[in-house]
Amino acid sequence: MTKSVLYLELDNCIGCRSCLAACTQCGGHDEKYRNYVVDVNPLVDTQTMPLMCLHCVNPACARSCPAQAIQIHETGAVLSARVEKCIGCQNCTIACPYGIPKFDVEQNLMYKCDLCIERTQHDIPPMCASVCPTNTLQWLTKEQLAMKKEQNVLDNGKWIASSDHYLENETNVHISLPGILQKKQKLF
Amino acid sequence: MTQNIKQAGEQLIPTHCSYCGMQCGMNLRVDVKQNKIIGVEPRYDWPVTLGKMCPKGVTAYQQTNHEDRLLTPLIRDDASLKGTKKGFRKATWEEAYDLIVKNFQTLQQQYGKDTLSVFSGVSMTNEKCYLTGKFARVALQTKYIDYNGRFCMSSAAGGMLGSFGVDRGSTFPWTDINETDCVFLAGSNAAECHPTMMFRIWEMLERGGYLIVVDPRKTPVARRADVHLDLKPGTDLAIANCMLHLLIRNGHIDEAFIEKHTNGFADAAAYVQAFTPEHTSNVTGVAVEKLERAAEIYGKAPNALVMFARGIEQQHKGVDNVQGYINMALVTGKIGRKKSGVATLTGQGNGQGGREHGQKSDLLPGYRKITNPQHVKEVCEVWGITPEEMPDAGVSAYEMFELMEKKEIRSMYLLCSNPAVSAPNLNMVRNAMKNLDFMVCCDFYLSESAEFADVVLPAVTWSEDEGTVTNLEGRIIKINRAQRPLGDSKPDWKIQVEIAERLGKGKYFSHLKTAEDVFNEFRLATKGGTADYYGATWEKIESQKGVFWPCKSEHDKGTPYLFLDKTFYHPDGKAVIHSPVYRPPAEEPCEQYPIILTTGRVVFHYLSGNQTRRIPFLQEMCSEPFAEMHPMMAKQYGVWEGNKVKLTTRRGEGVFKVKVTEAIRKDTVFVPYHFGDEQSVNLLTIATLDPKSRMPEFKACAAKMEGWT
Repeated sequence: MTKSVLYLELDNCIGCRSCLAACTQCGGHDEKYRNYVVDVNPLVDTQTMPLMCLHCVNPACARSCPAQAIQIHETGAVLSARVEKCIGCQNCTIACPYGIPKFDVEQNLMYKCDLCIERTQHDIPPMCASVCPTNTLQWLTKEQLAMKKEQNVLDNGKWIASSDHYLENETNVHISLPGILQKKQKLF
Repeated sequence: MTQNIKQAGEQLIPTHCSYCGMQCGMNLRVDVKQNKIIGVEPRYDWPVTLGKMCPKGVTAYQQTNHEDRLLTPLIRDDASLKGTKKGFRKATWEEAYDLIVKNFQTLQQQYGKDTLSVFSGVSMTNEKCYLTGKFARVALQTKYIDYNGRFCMSSAAGGMLGSFGVDRGSTFPWTDINETDCVFLAGSNAAECHPTMMFRIWEMLERGGYLIVVDPRKTPVARRADVHLDLKPGTDLAIANCMLHLLIRNGHIDEAFIEKHTNGFADAAAYVQAFTPEHTSNVTGVAVEKLERAAEIYGKAPNALVMFARGIEQQHKGVDNVQGYINMALVTGKIGRKKSGVATLTGQGNGQGGREHGQKSDLLPGYRKITNPQHVKEVCEVWGITPEEMPDAGVSAYEMFELMEKKEIRSMYLLCSNPAVSAPNLNMVRNAMKNLDFMVCCDFYLSESAEFADVVLPAVTWSEDEGTVTNLEGRIIKINRAQRPLGDSKPDWKIQVEIAERLGKGKYFSHLKTAEDVFNEFRLATKGGTADYYGATWEKIESQKGVFWPCKSEHDKGTPYLFLDKTFYHPDGKAVIHSPVYRPPAEEPCEQYPIILTTGRVVFHYLSGNQTRRIPFLQEMCSEPFAEMHPMMAKQYGVWEGNKVKLTTRRGEGVFKVKVTEAIRKDTVFVPYHFGDEQSVNLLTIATLDPKSRMPEFKACAAKMEGWT
């Protein structure tokens, strides 16, 4: 693992898609974006949220791959399919519960977020978190993450954000659920 | 500090974005061997934005080597093709200059000096903005120069001048936003128009601060507001007056501050007595409880910022709206100290610097007035002309088109602007451009406005020249050159020097051989003015990461905060609490035109879209305008998401795709203005001008709607 982790505060998202634009700028990304932004309540409000690879510790995409084309970097990042191994079966595109791996028909190759491995292996923030204008995507040290969790666990007995329990899987990316401002103690 | 990744054979050139007033820091990635910009890398150490960029910023570099770049001058011999892309042929600079000089001289001999006009913009450096003012007055000797800030910042400027006696868009640095306790944001969709300040607003909320947003739409920033005042477009002044009423009623005013540092309180207090929450609710459609809650929060906040943007400014009472909201800070004394103050969110990259130094019809460098003989004398000394040679004040941007219609102006030199998309009442404006005797357009793409030109001159993009820009904080920053000019393109300042020489005015211009030469003359021209840049050398700007004006001498570090000594810029040192009289929008809904039409931006495009509509990623995200409306309105007209509607006003019509959302008032339709030709919503907008700022009322007019198949 690197010193820092990707951390998401979904409620901050304004739908600007800067993370997508930035994704195309990462050296190994072939100018294709590998994260997505969805409208949470279409026709109702402006709430959006980024759909990011969570870099699962035991990723369904890699488990579903019959050719061992999806490798896990020593930092924990789940990499894009290796060109020489991917057979184009598209198992991973369906196996992933978040729909992150996509398929490039022309190249007969799966592509997905590799957490800007060129950058993050040196602890340089990934492009998406570097540019995110709202801090929806943040690159935090373990200490900063611990502080965030403390801040965001709310003491009202009912609501817990940033729970220590993983929702789906154990992931290397951490999420604060929407509602981090609920019951926030106001300054005055 | 976060490090950047650097690829072999590449150089990172630190600079700023080409687009809005945030002027986000960025590094351009340059292939050294080819001398070619190939990408972008965050600039983590820029204190205002910390590497953050919106999608326009991330892709801004793609403008430079874009296939649509103009690489040579273009001449069109057949005037009947004006208003189209057709008929242009490539020409040399000499041929283009000869044609321009011949036409300018002939027209001026026949119709007088003022038959020429210069229409400029502020998405360019201070050096270019400054020289454009000198070019118009000294080289062309015309009084008709004005600029696109009349469609953008002029109401904020007028309001701040009236209240404070000085127009610097922000009284505090942006790094205060996350540290204050309350942000009162009026008429700003900051999340889409100034996205990189959002992390500061959210941080303020996470600290337990309050956000109040005044907007007819529940925009992404309004979504999280503690109070959203969802007013009817064009009724802001009633809200501002009501806030003042409630601050007084609640006892949240600072009487000592009012007494010592302001004038006009008694009159204002008497006037706003009528603006009870109940009356204001009737005028604006905002619930009484929300008005009361907003005033209570702002009144109780230990520190608070009042911020506003085009929503309140692009109205025929824009100046009054600005002064109305500024009153909140003046009566509570929440100004002239850290973490409190007033700011406008400047729309254009150099909206601040570009309006201070002589592109405005009545202004000269350093915020001097052309109607003040002493000011004229000071500038004449720098320029080497006599006061008798200085032209008088001209007219505002939109009014120049009216004079073109009347043939009082027969020629236009257009640069850094695209009024064929961005001006109001476009049928008239396009017609006026079409009927000009001779028009020159400088741009790096063939814009919709260039289609009306006889000669098009290829300018460089921001990344191929250097100079300074003044961002929305009032911080002077440095734009660096990352690539040599593409093709035969040239910087605007150089084009103006070369035309001036051919008009026989070389002695006033020929010494300006580099952008820094222009800057050094410009610094001198601002010396002693209100907007004094004299001490802001390029070296100081680099080493301090920007210099806030005023900066009067080599030893002066600049002025991040205004009014810390509680001295305002009016002669008696006091601020003015105005009593702006409420009046409705110029055009209100009626039986024939029952809908309120309002306009604005989306996050993916900038101004007229001449730049951003050419960037593939931005086009993929938003390729056409839309008519945003509430589901109730959609049902009433029998349309739904993806259908088309025709919107019609007394001035024009347009067909737009329907976008349904509950995040807008039921009586209002919103259409973004970034699109050209028949997709321009400005075909429909109204040109009623603010009496002081000459700002058109883009934000409210009356329309009718019908389904379109």
